Amino acid sequence: MNLTDLIARCVAYAPQLYEGALTTLMLSGVAVVCGFFAGILIHTLSTHGSRPIVWAIKAYISVFRGTPVLAQLLVLYYLPSALGLSLPGIVVAVVGLTLNTAAYQSQILRAGFKSIPQGQIEAAQTFNLTRRQRLWHIEIPQVVALTLPALISEMIDIVKASAVVSVIAVTDLMRVGQQLSSSSYRPLEVYTLTALFYLAITSLLSLAGYCFEQRMMRRKGAPS
Amino acid sequence: MKTFLRVTALSLVGAIGLGLSIQSYAQTPDLLDRIKAKKEIVIATEARYAPFEFIENGKIVGYNADLMRLVMTQLPDVNVRQLDLPFQGLLPGLDTKAFDIVVTAITINKERASHFSFTSPVAISMTGLLVKERDGALNAIADLNNKTVGSQSGSVQLQALIALDKQLKDSGTPGFKAIKQYVSFDEAYADLASGRLDAVAQSIANLGPLLKSRPGLFKVLPGSIGEQSYFAWAARKDADSETLVKLFNDGIARAAANGTLTQLQTKWFGTTMDIPASVTP
Repeated sequence: MNLTDLIARCVAYAPQLYEGALTTLMLSGVAVVCGFFAGILIHTLSTHGSRPIVWAIKAYISVFRGTPVLAQLLVLYYLPSALGLSLPGIVVAVVGLTLNTAAYQSQILRAGFKSIPQGQIEAAQTFNLTRRQRLWHIEIPQVVALTLPALISEMIDIVKASAVVSVIAVTDLMRVGQQLSSSSYRPLEVYTLTALFYLAITSLLSLAGYCFEQRMMRRKGAPS
Repeated sequence: MKTFLRVTALSLVGAIGLGLSIQSYAQTPDLLDRIKAKKEIVIATEARYAPFEFIENGKIVGYNADLMRLVMTQLPDVNVRQLDLPFQGLLPGLDTKAFDIVVTAITINKERASHFSFTSPVAISMTGLLVKERDGALNAIADLNNKTVGSQSGSVQLQALIALDKQLKDSGTPGFKAIKQYVSFDEAYADLASGRLDAVAQSIANLGPLLKSRPGLFKVLPGSIGEQSYFAWAARKDADSETLVKLFNDGIARAAANGTLTQLQTKWFGTTMDIPASVTP
């Protein structure tokens, strides 16, 4: 195998893979952020909601944690179009991944919420803070700090899970890799390069998460 | 003020009545009418099937892509939204109306034709067997007894393999060791190159670009397996899609009549094909 030829080919693949990587990053980024807020909502509803709501949430979590992402995406894409509502693949991909990660994140956050001492909640009530103030200023900052490693690993999981979105006509990083391997007939080098792109995305995300964690620790340690 | 209200109310009632009567007289718009009104057609393709359709510099190119563009000149105002997705998702998605038509090389066969409406054929589909160039023991189809073969799942080429296996067994020979199924042909080629497979069944028209871009790696066994069939594009089999299929057939017929179809075949396959105007599977 000629090394200079190999490098030249990899350079030629890179712009297309970069386009695909942007799609993957956008999809999983939007899904993770929306899923975080949806996860908080789910947790709040499951602790303060009425019994039918709690049951509905339990059913939702077991459906989305207990079925493959691939099946979820196919159902979300083909079911509405069979009923006459045609949604673009990219919209379905964002919604599907958001619903999936929201189910997981709600469980991660639940562990964080549980570990907040009851005394803090009572103190907040004594100071006449509203439930919303208590949630956003007392609970969530601590919950995020406590569950950050688990949240980052969930984020990485979603980037990898998004590799199946091509079944609903979204040209993500994986699909670009497949297309390139078809037109070049060199699957080994194309898929290796694609995997390196995924590794770059997930490494960047965990690095960003690490920096965020360090900053929070410094802030916590600083005299207020 | 009162008269104004009355006039508005009366004209509204009139307008609604007129609208209702027009709607009941006019024919309900079919798929082609809706495409024209929306100025957009959604076409599904599996862009992993050179030289029919594949990606070059981020764009879908190939024989079918060129021919589709010729057909679409009949609708100059309509914007083409072409989606790329795996072959196994094309026909189910067409069924659930996720797209208007599938423009990808689909081999016409009875089962598919009973569910979907095929356009006029666009190319000949003949199944050949791809083996490793250095595999000296494999020179004829009969040498494949006790060998592992593979093809894309859901493809006509896979059915040809299953039929060949039965034929080999019926003639007293052991038949294939195993028939493996792949999501796409590329994975099958990769397994052939790495030695996990001994032969891949693929349409002969597709093997040209493979042999050209990876010289010295593969060869095609002489002869073909299964029945000769044709490649066509597929739409839904209902009255709603009839006019759209006719528009595509007209476009293909025009390209055949003025010689552009032959030109495209020379451009993408290096040879020309004799294709009938219509086939009954």
